[in-house]
Amino acid sequence: MTEAYATIVFLFVLFTLLGSSIWIGLALMGVAWVGMELFTTRPAGDAMATIIWTGASSWTLTALPLFIWMGEILYRTRLSQDMFRGLAPWMRWLPGGLLHTNIAGCTIFAAVSGSSAATLTTVGKMSIPELRKRGYPEYMIVGTLAGAATLGLMIPPSLTLIVYGVSINESIIKLFMAGIIPGLVLAALFMSYIVAWHYFRPEQRPDPEPSISFGTMLAESRFLIPVLCLVFAVIGSMYFGWATATEAAAVGVLGALTLAMFQRSLTFSTFFESLMGATRTSAMIALILMGAAFLSLSMGFTGLPRALAAFIDQLNLSPITLIAALTIFYIILGMFLDGISSVVLTMAIVEPMIRQAGIDPIWFGIFIVVVVEMAQVTPPIGFNLFVLQAMTRHEIGYISKVALPMVGLMLLMIVLLVAFPGLATWLPETIR
Amino acid sequence: MRDWSPVMNLPLWVWLFVLPSFIGVVCLIVGPRLEPYLRPLWRILDRVYATSGAIAGFFMIMILTLIVIGMVARWTSVAVPGTTEFAGYAMAATSFFALCHALTRGAHIRVSIILNANDFLKKWLDLFAVFGAAVIATYFARYAIKANFFSEMLNDRTQGQDQIPEWLVSLFSLDFAGVAAGSTTLAYTPIWIPQLAMSIGTILLAIALWDTLYRMLVTGVNPIVSESVE
Repeated sequence: MTEAYATIVFLFVLFTLLGSSIWIGLALMGVAWVGMELFTTRPAGDAMATIIWTGASSWTLTALPLFIWMGEILYRTRLSQDMFRGLAPWMRWLPGGLLHTNIAGCTIFAAVSGSSAATLTTVGKMSIPELRKRGYPEYMIVGTLAGAATLGLMIPPSLTLIVYGVSINESIIKLFMAGIIPGLVLAALFMSYIVAWHYFRPEQRPDPEPSISFGTMLAESRFLIPVLCLVFAVIGSMYFGWATATEAAAVGVLGALTLAMFQRSLTFSTFFESLMGATRTSAMIALILMGAAFLSLSMGFTGLPRALAAFIDQLNLSPITLIAALTIFYIILGMFLDGISSVVLTMAIVEPMIRQAGIDPIWFGIFIVVVVEMAQVTPPIGFNLFVLQAMTRHEIGYISKVALPMVGLMLLMIVLLVAFPGLATWLPETIR
Repeated sequence: MRDWSPVMNLPLWVWLFVLPSFIGVVCLIVGPRLEPYLRPLWRILDRVYATSGAIAGFFMIMILTLIVIGMVARWTSVAVPGTTEFAGYAMAATSFFALCHALTRGAHIRVSIILNANDFLKKWLDLFAVFGAAVIATYFARYAIKANFFSEMLNDRTQGQDQIPEWLVSLFSLDFAGVAAGSTTLAYTPIWIPQLAMSIGTILLAIALWDTLYRMLVTGVNPIVSESVE
């Protein structure tokens, strides 16, 4: 009975503190403190300082600030201009035309950045005005962009996957590799939506692009090629075992700095801005991780996660039912919390549950990323919606309506992941 | 409750929680008339937060440098022990020193759905949230300092291979005679030295939150403005 009591107390304090808009990391600390004081005799404050220090000085976590920094540097270069110019000539042959630059651009930027808001801004800054100028329908421009930007969370380097890997002690490299194929499949799903639009709504097609020569095509994409090289260097070095995730991140930062230098966009002020931007973002995530570390410890002392896992086990749910239930749970949670917070907040509870049910934790990492991706574009709280609102001046309601087909495609992606778990698990198994 | 033993005849919790709350009440009552007196202090504090952020940025560069050194050392088979531990300390220093800077620049996130419901909540719930956050951060800082003191008292050393020269330990212990002696013998890193980042960072976060609360009470607006993206 104590477990039921503990659950109610935890949930009540959690909702009160989060709802009263205390910063998420500090709110989690408050919940953990209440749990420690009520249900254990251990000194709460000492346990808190020890666990937070151990977590904050952990070596595996160092990949996080570096990957953030790499994205910040490239975000401040002229990448977004070059991205559109470089991709447009290659995309104009596809049915659906330049709308595909939204998807391809997001896929490429996702491979150098782990954040979906940065992906959205970088690609959208250039593609929205260019696509509007060419007369593509507004709902397709905004909708496909909102959906595709969430690829930033899935395609490595992914901040959500680093945080997930650190909180359940799984290899970050394996998680990164697991994200590649599902990320590309999801991009393909988004692209087929554009193709479908092309054939079903022929009256909305804009005039075809003028043709250009192959030489011009290559010349236009001259900056895109070095970025692709950087992507392959970072991901390849992890895949072939030459570097750890942290070292690959360091290579990424140096590579991004070099690219920016050759492009002559690396001034002292952009360097400083990228550094401070990355410092702030990583401090933001660090505070949440600190709160979550203390909360996990506190919940562990109460025995709540074990009891809940045993309870779920006793229900004899099939893994599919469990996944379906968790999908709904995370969609609801994602309506109010961002992806990283929902992952760290629930992992202490969900991890024993999925291990008990025999679900592969690597596969589950990819599953959870797809679900929190959906949360990015569903109201009332969705970071991508806010960013797009600031960029396009549309209402949140309009943006979430036009992004709805993308949410449908992401649900389809979950079905695909359940039906073909190999999508996520095959590549990590082939790592040297 | 040894943790809250009296300081200057008053229990520690009075100094940490009651006194700052009392100052808050004074700010609420006196209101905008305090602003001219507090403005110079705010300017100094703003500079402190920015400096702390710059230190965090420096440690970010340190993480990169240490990891690159570790990588080059591995390729060239030169032994440079302890780079992973040092990178871990730099990571902690980056996170802790940046806490207050990230707060004042609106980088930390919170659930603002109820906050934005109406103007009454916008003001009073926001005050409550900043107050609650300040209390939690003060508690955090208090135990961070205690953990730091204990590491020093028990002479807690690293579990890894990282070593630093004796004179550096003397420098942090403010034992300047020891620094002058310049002993370059290597010693396993005492944990309390990297933990200083945790103490300083959490103190600054607590100060920044109380400071934010007072500014809100005096001026009536939340000084934290978040940037549009991230």
